[in-house]
Amino acid sequence: MKLPALPLPSALKPPPQRPGEREKTGPAHEVKDAGIAAVDWVDERTSLSGGLRWAMFRKVPKGTNWFYTLGSATLFAFLSQAVTGVFLAMYYDPSATRAYESARHITNDVFLGEFVRGMHKWGSTVMVILIFLHMARVFFFGAYKYPRELNWVIGVALLILTMAMSFTGYLLPFDQRSYWATIVGVNINGTGPLVGPYLSDFLRGGAEFGATTLSRFYAIHMLLIPGLIAALIGAHLYLVAKLGTTAPPWLKSEQTEELHTERV
Amino acid sequence: MAERPREPKSKYTAERDFAGAFEGETVTRRRFMTLTTHGAGLVAVAAFALPALGFAAGSAIFERPPAGWEPIGPTDDFPNDSYVPRVVTEVTGVGEVGKTTVYVRARNAEIDGPPDPEIDTSFVAISTRCMHLGCPVRYVDAAKRFICPCHGGVYDFRGAVAGGPPVRPLDRFYTRVRGGQVEIGPRYSVNSKFDRFPNYRDPGQPLDGIGQYLYPGRLSTPRLNSP
Amino acid sequence: MNQAEKELYLRDYSIMKSQGKPFFPYAVAKDSLMAVVVMTAIIAMSIIFGAELGPKADPTTTTYVPRPEWYFFFLFEVLRVIKPPYFTPLATIGVPTVCMILLFLLPFYDRNPERRPERRPIATVAGILTIVAMAYLTFLGANAGSPNSVDIKVQPQFEKGKVVVAQSGCLACHKIGENGNDGPGPNLTEIGATTNKQAILRTLENPTAPMPSFAGLPEEKKTALVDFLASLKGSE
Repeated sequence: MKLPALPLPSALKPPPQRPGEREKTGPAHEVKDAGIAAVDWVDERTSLSGGLRWAMFRKVPKGTNWFYTLGSATLFAFLSQAVTGVFLAMYYDPSATRAYESARHITNDVFLGEFVRGMHKWGSTVMVILIFLHMARVFFFGAYKYPRELNWVIGVALLILTMAMSFTGYLLPFDQRSYWATIVGVNINGTGPLVGPYLSDFLRGGAEFGATTLSRFYAIHMLLIPGLIAALIGAHLYLVAKLGTTAPPWLKSEQTEELHTERV
Repeated sequence: MAERPREPKSKYTAERDFAGAFEGETVTRRRFMTLTTHGAGLVAVAAFALPALGFAAGSAIFERPPAGWEPIGPTDDFPNDSYVPRVVTEVTGVGEVGKTTVYVRARNAEIDGPPDPEIDTSFVAISTRCMHLGCPVRYVDAAKRFICPCHGGVYDFRGAVAGGPPVRPLDRFYTRVRGGQVEIGPRYSVNSKFDRFPNYRDPGQPLDGIGQYLYPGRLSTPRLNSP
Repeated sequence: MNQAEKELYLRDYSIMKSQGKPFFPYAVAKDSLMAVVVMTAIIAMSIIFGAELGPKADPTTTTYVPRPEWYFFFLFEVLRVIKPPYFTPLATIGVPTVCMILLFLLPFYDRNPERRPERRPIATVAGILTIVAMAYLTFLGANAGSPNSVDIKVQPQFEKGKVVVAQSGCLACHKIGENGNDGPGPNLTEIGATTNKQAILRTLENPTAPMPSFAGLPEEKKTALVDFLASLKGSE
């Protein structure tokens, strides 16, 4: 199926053929044709190219400025956390007696261990800052109003999940600061009337901080919440592509003036 | 048949306009089959989800660890006008993380209230867990106060709240004397009148008045049934 | 927003969109540059600040001063200043839950079709106030000093008194500089300017309740303490 040509800017388009010139064939062109053939092979069996074109070549309104990059910056920080997190998980041992030792081992002995741990730790700060900036940008641009209300709700859910990630992840190095911040955090949950005591029991895996507490926090931090975040990010991005990003609120298209003026 | 005035058709009469409707019948065959299938679906989902939920929450909320006693020193070690810190193991099997510090003194007849007849009150063992949100408190002998470094909680010599946001006095531990050694048992909570609650609560949960019902005791705490 | 406003917005938006540029490569270029900036920031922070591991978790400590991560400082500060015990559940659960619900439901109670910040005074002012409040609380939380030490600078002859203050638990009820608590005792940062040594000594030995008496302190500690407090005259 021949799809319409891509709306690339003129600088990136292939130059038009000069009159009298025959099609060039050479090794470079054969490689290019092989690549195109491979992509066509996949596309014939998946029909992905239609969806990809819809996502990649949709228009963004006039006036889209640098503020709009905050959302994808947050996504990128999350991906950085996910990748560094996977590498850290290869060396980390989530047992109450060995967690600190494994964190110390990563920091001191493993090649680039302190660097990767540092990236993960400071990446969480950067992600929280970016997510708040992104939320502020959406708020002040009024981009949560019709028809994007659902996207805002998903976004707030992502914010809460991010804070939950930082809460559960904070315990994992198991040093003094982690331990006491978690104790206070779990007790804060316990102050909710009627369900509070059972909620903090559920988080801690019992009445006292015990053997299963660290395992619980690790499972929540590694599996449960990243899964939820990935799913919600997928929904969030789908809605962004479908509904489109808003134009900055101070811009109005010239033609709407004509729509609004009275025709006599 | 005479013209019927426009009334809403009852669910129960035969004039419901489809084949096979009987007088007085409320559940049609279609409705029956639909509801039965939904019910079977619910049972299938519950058969999967309830055990999963039980696995995640059951052991955490319902498993009660056994209560133990630990000796901490001879009875002469503990004065009645100051506290001596000792380390006990509250949770077994997790190494250092299961330990906690306890401040112990002998009972002081002038300062302490009337003795609780059900338990051994010859020694007083106070927990270092602040009753605001759980930070570790420190006993300062110069002021005879317990001070919490987190949010400004202060407790007096008996552990009652002297200032700041804590909601009830510091928790205590059961004590007994065996063979000249003082032994520390499980934890219990007290309210501001120093009534004893064997099923101890988490920090931040007040126990005065309605508090003990608003923050009920749990099934996961090691309790002493007979001291 | 009623139906007419919705349709007007959709029409307006489709015009704005058609006048725009394709996502790839224009927006992708900006996003890629921002991603590089983010990556550089994370890597630079990791290299410059490192990732130190504190001492191992020790539940038996009595001297450690717990602090949360910086983005929870605003909540920490709220919990620190809400003194009455019956307000604690409000500060821990009540207020944050209400704020979360308000945040979730924002598009449902803000139905004003206007998007320009200058024409949405309530939304803009509320947003700015929230940001300023959270920033201020975070700043206060970061500065909150430990009640186990006094951090203000003093001349060498008063260092001993400073240590006595830190050890005797004065900071549980008094504030000196950034350390300590706002109550129930008065702020002592400039106590030397209003009270002389005899008055300070009298208060230490014979205080008004609920302050405990320090008559039992050893003489040299008491003298050091009085000298230190009398020297706190603020800026002269």
